[in-house]
Amino acid sequence: MLESYLPIFFMIAGGIAFGVVMLKLNEFFGPRRPTEEKFSTYESGMEPVRTARERFSVKFYMVAVLFILFDIEVVFLYPWAVSFRELGYQGFVTMFVFIVILLIGLYYVWRKGALEWD
Amino acid sequence: MYELLHDLLGDSLLVYVIGAALPLLFVLPFAVVAVLLEMKVSAHMQDRVAYMYTGWHGVLQPVADILKLLQKEDTVPAAADKFLFRLAPFLVFMGGYAGFAALPFSSAYIGSNIDLGVFYILAVSSLAVIGLMMSGWASNNKWSLFGAMRSVAQIISYEIPSALSILVAVMIVGSLNLQEVSKFQEGGIQNWIVFGGPMPLLQKLLLLPFTITAFFILFLAGIAEVNRTPFDLPEAESELVQGYNTEYSGMKFAIFYLAEFANMFLVSGIVVSLYLGGWTSPFGDVMSGPIWSFFWFVAKGMFFVFLQVWIRWTLPRLRVDQLMYTSWKVLTPFLFVCIFAVGLILVL
Amino acid sequence: MEITISDLWQSAPMVSLTLTGLVALLVESMKGGRTTAVYGLSLAGCALAFVFSLWSLGSEVIVFNGMILQGGYASYFSMVFTSSAFFTIVLSRPYMQRLHREQGVLYILILFATVGMMLMASAMDLIILFLGIELMSVCLYVLTGFVRTKVTSNESAVKYFLLGAFATGFLLYGIALVYGTAGTTNLKLISQSFAQLSGNSLFLMGAGLLVIAFSFKVAAVPFHMWAPDVYEGAPTPVTAFMSTGAKAAAFAAFVTVFIRTFAITGTPISEVVAFIAAASMILGNVTAIAQSNLKRMLAYSSIAHAGYMLSGIAAGSAEGETGILFYLAAYTLMNMGAFGIISWVEQQDDTKLTFDDYAGFSAQRPVVAAMLSVFMFSLAGIPPFAGFFGKYYVFLAAVKADLVWLAVIGVLTSVISVYYYLRLVMVMYFRDGNATIEERVPGFAFAVIGVIAALVILLGLYPSLVVDISKTFFKL
Repeated sequence: MLESYLPIFFMIAGGIAFGVVMLKLNEFFGPRRPTEEKFSTYESGMEPVRTARERFSVKFYMVAVLFILFDIEVVFLYPWAVSFRELGYQGFVTMFVFIVILLIGLYYVWRKGALEWD
Repeated sequence: MYELLHDLLGDSLLVYVIGAALPLLFVLPFAVVAVLLEMKVSAHMQDRVAYMYTGWHGVLQPVADILKLLQKEDTVPAAADKFLFRLAPFLVFMGGYAGFAALPFSSAYIGSNIDLGVFYILAVSSLAVIGLMMSGWASNNKWSLFGAMRSVAQIISYEIPSALSILVAVMIVGSLNLQEVSKFQEGGIQNWIVFGGPMPLLQKLLLLPFTITAFFILFLAGIAEVNRTPFDLPEAESELVQGYNTEYSGMKFAIFYLAEFANMFLVSGIVVSLYLGGWTSPFGDVMSGPIWSFFWFVAKGMFFVFLQVWIRWTLPRLRVDQLMYTSWKVLTPFLFVCIFAVGLILVL
Repeated sequence: MEITISDLWQSAPMVSLTLTGLVALLVESMKGGRTTAVYGLSLAGCALAFVFSLWSLGSEVIVFNGMILQGGYASYFSMVFTSSAFFTIVLSRPYMQRLHREQGVLYILILFATVGMMLMASAMDLIILFLGIELMSVCLYVLTGFVRTKVTSNESAVKYFLLGAFATGFLLYGIALVYGTAGTTNLKLISQSFAQLSGNSLFLMGAGLLVIAFSFKVAAVPFHMWAPDVYEGAPTPVTAFMSTGAKAAAFAAFVTVFIRTFAITGTPISEVVAFIAAASMILGNVTAIAQSNLKRMLAYSSIAHAGYMLSGIAAGSAEGETGILFYLAAYTLMNMGAFGIISWVEQQDDTKLTFDDYAGFSAQRPVVAAMLSVFMFSLAGIPPFAGFFGKYYVFLAAVKADLVWLAVIGVLTSVISVYYYLRLVMVMYFRDGNATIEERVPGFAFAVIGVIAALVILLGLYPSLVVDISKTFFKL
């Protein structure tokens, strides 16, 4: 069974090798004429003002936190879905309770406006 | 395929190396074709002709583009985080490309026949999210960072609906391995999961509305995950220049581009394998077999790639709030209803 | 692996409280969801869970495929937690209203934290234990930072969260090592093979990591650093909840693992726990003397109390368990009362928290001052209040387990503690000043504090009420 993971390993190695080769080719064929202007940050032709690394809106964190919650939930759902038929009616009820609890949470988040972007 | 290679080459590692190289040999020509397709289709939709000079009707243009990009200077901005800046394209590319390992291209070939299958695809494709974030952050450019933030927020928001809609099919089949999922749907178009799968008639009819919903949502969420119009806010060129890859040039830029096209096909491949019979022939036993099944898979996949291009030139771009609204307040609740209903139907 | 209806029915305290929490969440998110409704619902849920616990106190059963213990030990602790949650909810309403920060989530978080505590007390499996600790802790992190506009509240929440996350790490490593050596996370199975395991150094290391994690949760030296800052920064009713319910829950887990499961007497674990207990008693009491802020004083005193209770665990005997169980009931009541009164006197801008602010309090508010004195006497362990018997039982257990030195340290440090507890009483009664509660104390909360004070005296007069109950619990 484990050997079916071997192609994945080779694929990843192959993908990296492909990228490296292409970049090396680019380095070989491409010119190299560095100027200060060229390597400055692109800001639509204006002089770059300050660094780009500033604080961004808390909305993004909200989305990330929600994502983690739901993603973990989905991860729990997958094994259940695969063996769904063997588990039968009891597995269904159990998971249903789990999903309902989660949906109450979603409803709460929704009502509290965490899903509004503006 | 692996049996064949084993027969030819014996029990050596080379078998796996060759098996693993095949998807790359598919992705590269595919990208060339897809670039051409995108340009030609979009042009004809707008009553233009697009490239006409390089080769017959401009068919060599993508190749010329690649050669041109090879000769461009590979710049790294002075303010960038050099290491992360160089690493990012690889991650983005691997996120799309590594997923091909679990796609069943034909009844005889799947890169890696692991039981995790589609779950593995979901897992590796999140590499791309890290890559995007990395590219935006490392560029130290406002456009890049904004684009990357938007992109990541969008991808992870749509990851939930897509994962849940995959779940609907997984519940029906009871396996994550896409090869198994495809086999499950053998026997003609009526057995495809989008039409309820090979179930007794009553069950099939009950399942039908939910599988169709899940299928549409999967495709929609798939488009959103590859950041294509109408979900292309991250690289909304009128707002953000090029989004996260603004500062990239030469081959690195090309790798981002390649990743996007690889993702386009990956999404189509997942949709096709899960809901549209994968490599199975729509006519039952007619025109089946390893070669034909490869044809069917690619044909179905290309159709969805075409559909993505079509949508791109038909629909306007969404606003951010509409985007989030769609994902969290429409698709996710709908899918929970689907999962509940499908579960109920299968249990009873 | 069936889950039956009777499983659910037998875990009625936990299930009812969870359902209440979910319904409250729905009420809170409905349009025009009134905070008062959530408040009432939460109180009703706590009361219901309390009644269920009382009702199921008689017999112990193991439910959910050997994962969860219900009745007896678990019910006893459920009663402690639900009453702690009930008092906290009652006290936090006027407090949060004064700050204009009352939100229904506060009560809901308290409910879910209580569910987590119940899981900790009823865990028969290390995984359930972990689940309970996390459920409780995550809710407490949020509760600590509940007053978003206050810097101190935020600061303490971040501190608590970061250090709590470390402690969770220790817990998980400990569980991993125990699992690796014992081959199971089920406490019952571990207890059966403890005799062979106790010689295994990897297992002992795992147990040591568990000691660290639990010591963090009960705020015992040297893992107490977070306690004073967090107790000071958190909203006072939440502090009361943390120092009573959460501490009791952590001790419940401590007792489950180290007395009921492991027979630690004579093993290195026992020595380590004894050392932690001694250090907590000494450091907690000595540092508390130097405090002028009452919340900080009570924080250090809670470290010291953790030390007293840990000597019961170091004893590792049934007497130790009984002593801790009684101590926790008494401590929950008296600490809740003390924090409750402090939360009335405290002003919105974190002033009126020092000893001096209580000068002349007895003249202004004779009844409140009397009740606060009761709590202080009880905390100091002066008979006939409940606190005395708590100390008596744990020290007795320590002496019986040949830990006389620990009991001596306990008694000596208790004498030290009398100084700072009675200092407050002295300030209230013998120094002139104009300490007042500016706002009117809400009647309900006042009545609740009165009940707590009465219970503290009652338990002091009839300790057998609780002790007899705890003697009926069987060993694993």
